[in-house]
Amino acid sequence: MKVKMISRNPDNYVRETKLQQHKIPRNYDPALHPMEGPREYVRALNATKLDRVFAKPFLCNLSGHRDGVACFGKHPKLLSTLATGAYDGEVRIWDLANRTSQRSFVAHDGFVRGIAYARNGERLFTVGDDKTIKVWRTEAPDVGEEEEPVNTILSRHILHGISHNRKDNSFATCGEVCAIWDEQHNDPIKTLKWGVDTLHTISYNPVETNVLACCASDRSIILYDQREALPLRKVVLTMKSNKLAWNPMEAFNFTVANEDCNLYSFDTRKLQSPLKVHFDHVSAVTDVDYAPTGKEFVSGSYDKTVRLYNAHLSHSRDIYHTKRMQHVVCVAWSLDNRYIFSGSDEMNVRMWKANASEKLGVIRPRERTNFNYQEALKEKYAAHPQIKRIARHRQVPRHVMNAQRKMRAVKEKELVKEANIRKHSKKGKVPFVSEKKKHVIREDV
Amino acid sequence: MSDDEEQYDPIAHKKLLQAVSSLGNVQHIRKSTRDERQPEQNEFQLFKSANATDHAAKAVGVNDLVQILRTSKHIETGKKLKNVHSTKKVLQKPLEKPVADRIKRTIGYEGVKKKLARWDAVVAKQRSAETQIFPIPSETIYVNTAAHSNAIKTSIKSELGKELQASIKKLNDLRKVQTGDNTDEQELAQEEERLLAQKLTRDELHARRRELAYLRMRESQKSAKARMQNKIKSKKYHKLLKRQKILEQVKQFEILKKTNPEAALEKLNALEKSRLVERASLRHKNTGTWAKNLQMRAKYDKEVRKDLAEQLAVSRQLTEKKVDTDSEHEEQTTTKIETNVDESIADPFNPWMTLKQTENDEPKAEEEEVSWRKYWTERNQNEKLLTDHNAEVEQVKREKRQQTTQPIKESPKKKKPKIYMENGWQVEEVEEANEAPAKTKTLDEIFDAQKDNLNNHLIHKLNNLKRQAALLKRLSKKSKKPKMKHDALKNLKDLTFKKTKQRVEIDEPLNQDELEPKEAVKVIEAVNDLPKSKEEKNSTAKVADIDPDKVIPITWKQKMRLSDVVNDALADDDAAEFDEADPVAERQMLISEAFEDDDIVADFNKDKKDDSEVKNNELQLAMPGWGCWGGNGISEKVLERRNKRLLLKLAEPEKRRDDNKDNVYINEASNKQARAHRVSSIPFPFKSLADYEASIRTPIGREFVPETAFRMLTRPAVITRKGQVIEPMDESELVKPDRRLRHVVDKRIKRQEEQAEKAKRLLVD
Repeated sequence: MKVKMISRNPDNYVRETKLQQHKIPRNYDPALHPMEGPREYVRALNATKLDRVFAKPFLCNLSGHRDGVACFGKHPKLLSTLATGAYDGEVRIWDLANRTSQRSFVAHDGFVRGIAYARNGERLFTVGDDKTIKVWRTEAPDVGEEEEPVNTILSRHILHGISHNRKDNSFATCGEVCAIWDEQHNDPIKTLKWGVDTLHTISYNPVETNVLACCASDRSIILYDQREALPLRKVVLTMKSNKLAWNPMEAFNFTVANEDCNLYSFDTRKLQSPLKVHFDHVSAVTDVDYAPTGKEFVSGSYDKTVRLYNAHLSHSRDIYHTKRMQHVVCVAWSLDNRYIFSGSDEMNVRMWKANASEKLGVIRPRERTNFNYQEALKEKYAAHPQIKRIARHRQVPRHVMNAQRKMRAVKEKELVKEANIRKHSKKGKVPFVSEKKKHVIREDV
Repeated sequence: MSDDEEQYDPIAHKKLLQAVSSLGNVQHIRKSTRDERQPEQNEFQLFKSANATDHAAKAVGVNDLVQILRTSKHIETGKKLKNVHSTKKVLQKPLEKPVADRIKRTIGYEGVKKKLARWDAVVAKQRSAETQIFPIPSETIYVNTAAHSNAIKTSIKSELGKELQASIKKLNDLRKVQTGDNTDEQELAQEEERLLAQKLTRDELHARRRELAYLRMRESQKSAKARMQNKIKSKKYHKLLKRQKILEQVKQFEILKKTNPEAALEKLNALEKSRLVERASLRHKNTGTWAKNLQMRAKYDKEVRKDLAEQLAVSRQLTEKKVDTDSEHEEQTTTKIETNVDESIADPFNPWMTLKQTENDEPKAEEEEVSWRKYWTERNQNEKLLTDHNAEVEQVKREKRQQTTQPIKESPKKKKPKIYMENGWQVEEVEEANEAPAKTKTLDEIFDAQKDNLNNHLIHKLNNLKRQAALLKRLSKKSKKPKMKHDALKNLKDLTFKKTKQRVEIDEPLNQDELEPKEAVKVIEAVNDLPKSKEEKNSTAKVADIDPDKVIPITWKQKMRLSDVVNDALADDDAAEFDEADPVAERQMLISEAFEDDDIVADFNKDKKDDSEVKNNELQLAMPGWGCWGGNGISEKVLERRNKRLLLKLAEPEKRRDDNKDNVYINEASNKQARAHRVSSIPFPFKSLADYEASIRTPIGREFVPETAFRMLTRPAVITRKGQVIEPMDESELVKPDRRLRHVVDKRIKRQEEQAEKAKRLLVD
């Protein structure tokens, strides 16, 4: 029997060197690809499923603190360094790459209220309940040397928070008053007051560095300019704001974490109503931090969850929780936009991936292309019901579910009641008030 | 130095002395000393002056000072001081602190707002960017180091080179001196530069040529337009043109009347003459073909009727014999009495006024001719009557002004002359020619009267306006005034571009599920099963049915306009009329002919009907024998009631898609699984179905589009680099020039944009 061999010219299919990619002849004529739509849809579906399969955001747990974690300080230059302060006055510096504690020292009596790095990252400022501001060197002391602050400033007022200017040597503290300090002086350059007894948190605008904002105990947010002699403006919400974060890419936008389970994004120039109300938390939101890209932010809540939001959407895109994580007190987004840190009541600092299903480690170019393609497909078919269902499905703790159910019931009840009142009163007497406008009580000049 | 001197400390000594001297005093509070700058003084650190009570008795005033000065030799100074004190005003009390603070805060806030607004453009650009790269590429100086690039111009010369240059220069100077050449090098260079500047560059020449061509084109266009206009045959056009011309003439006449009454008179004479000429000619006799056609058409067309009426009016006016002045006079007197009541607006002796009133009426030219004629014919006859009448009018006016002005309705009833045409069609005059009698006086008086009239009119108008304003005010008090709020974010909104690539945005709460302890195991199992299940899915070919391209159009399909329906109905009517030519009917005939034996049409319809029939709409849950323990048929009624109770009614099946489509059978069974995969409404940023469909239709895979397109289409929205700190936005971003693109895809996108822009510009040109 004679076997006829098909002979082909190897030049057409054999690559010349090992470094070249295989030649794949392709014909892009759409007539030859009648099923391109369905094929891509299936790919998108698979990509979405894989995305959920690989969604394992929890990276590691940094344990070492002996009391609840109170605050974070991000190093402005080093990605692998994080400073955390605890309720017992201990400050720890972590080496994130090795997941170990580099250094620890007791900085204050009582709580550490705030940590801020100087702009070049050489100094570390901490404030505590003992009314002192302490300045520490960033590098660890030599063996045998004791941990000692470079400088200790006794403040006249109680201190609740600290923030460092990104461009010059000034920093600001809040407490009874908002005080602007210079690194070289032991007295504040300026104290700014506006009839409020406690300011809980303070934050410098990272872009327009003269502007800063405080959240006060009278449920207000106060804007300051460090060059002005007086505060600028105050906006009062229905409930107290716990934390404030400026958008690092959009100088005029900031977001506050509020006690009423919501977050509010404001434009500094238009404080009458927030730009966006961010829902989904079921208990007081305790902390918020922006991603360095300014597109997203992370929030930690008393409901023991961490949620990630797109800055311009009102519902969270993801929720992180573990069984052992208690009330989240502080959160931070790493400066390379990759990781999220959460500190909670039960003494642990946790590290999460900012993108739950992202692959860590080296990604080869072809792999990268494939990820991009999958991402694009998911985005393209995001509105398709099956894909949406899979992509947005999350398992949440029971207490969150219950609380959500309760909140929904309350909200529905209120809606019904309002509708009934409207129905039985004169036309136009019970106006429709948008959700945005409900939460701002007034703007003080 | 002795030990004693060494130990002596002056500060300590002073302190000691002070302590000793103040032993007797009770005062312990010291004046605070500062070593650190601080803007606020603590109230607890204030120094309490020892003899404060002694001084507080009486403050020193300016008067005391003056008194003292007066006694001394500085009398002049004292006087000056007193003068100053008496003449200068005391400054106003400053604002109260809260108010002043508020003002300061407002100013500060405005400043910050302005500062922040600088970022609008940058932020808007960032937001609309298709791909953002972080960290934002910093400003870098790029130096082209390629071999073929031009070398950097500035070069450092060596010592030797400098010497050489100097010596060459010296040599040149020497040579110049020797040859007696005294031209200035610099001057020459300047001259050359000037000449060069004079010379047009190639581009400039092109530009000029283009400009010239443009001018020529405009010229030719205009001439062509003029030529075309001359050729226009449309009657309507010419009518309008004529009217326009007449209007212009009237306007000119008005001006002339004001500036040069003599010329106006002459013009009037000329008009009169032209009228005579026309009267002598055969025009407007209504005997031409045009007029006859018009009569025919007038039966059906309202517009034509109007034209005809106008024409008739013109003809009547022209052919009218000049009426006996006496009779006319009588008429005028009668009408005068009638119109006297509302004299303030219509002055019968003021032809200009009447003219003005009728300005808006349609057949103007004719009327005006009439009024002018009347004006001039009556001018010399009414002198006497005028004087009397004038006095009367003045009096009335005075009375009027004292009274409250009321809106005056002026519509003297006019008799419409009816004309009967040959065909029995009755024509009524649409607009009455102005027959208000005009009496004359000298031009000055006329103008005075006119002035008064105008005044009156103005007062009237003012009152009207006031009343309206009051009304508006009352209204605004009642209804909430819509506040014109200045939108602080307007600039940002204006600057935002529409995104070129729209992405679906899903802003919904996550569909959450309770986390159960068993769940984890399940998930693991699911992971293990995953490849298998995937294969299964593919093999069942359910997925093959999916047609994600087709989004079920829910709302759009139903929205059919009423006019469309009407059109369809009309089309159907047409089809019915031309039945023979209908190819569909023909085909139907052909088919039925071909299958004469078996009636496939009927079969088809029957099949369809069977399929669409409601199959299991009800489900009987009652079991036979249940409840009939005592035997069958105890009570038929009870059984029936029970059966009725246990009958489970299912939901009505959905209507078939081909329900009202004859000859069409849509197989719905095959699509049922696919339905779960389809989008039911248009997702957020998309506004139209077409847009969304287009975004879905474009494939992005490697297999379907070329490699470069694939890379462009799958570019992520945010690109970050591992291990790099992303700094917040920097001030340099505000003044940054365009970034030099290094990535191939970036370059390609940029090139495409440029090409598109160029094409657009070409199109515009």
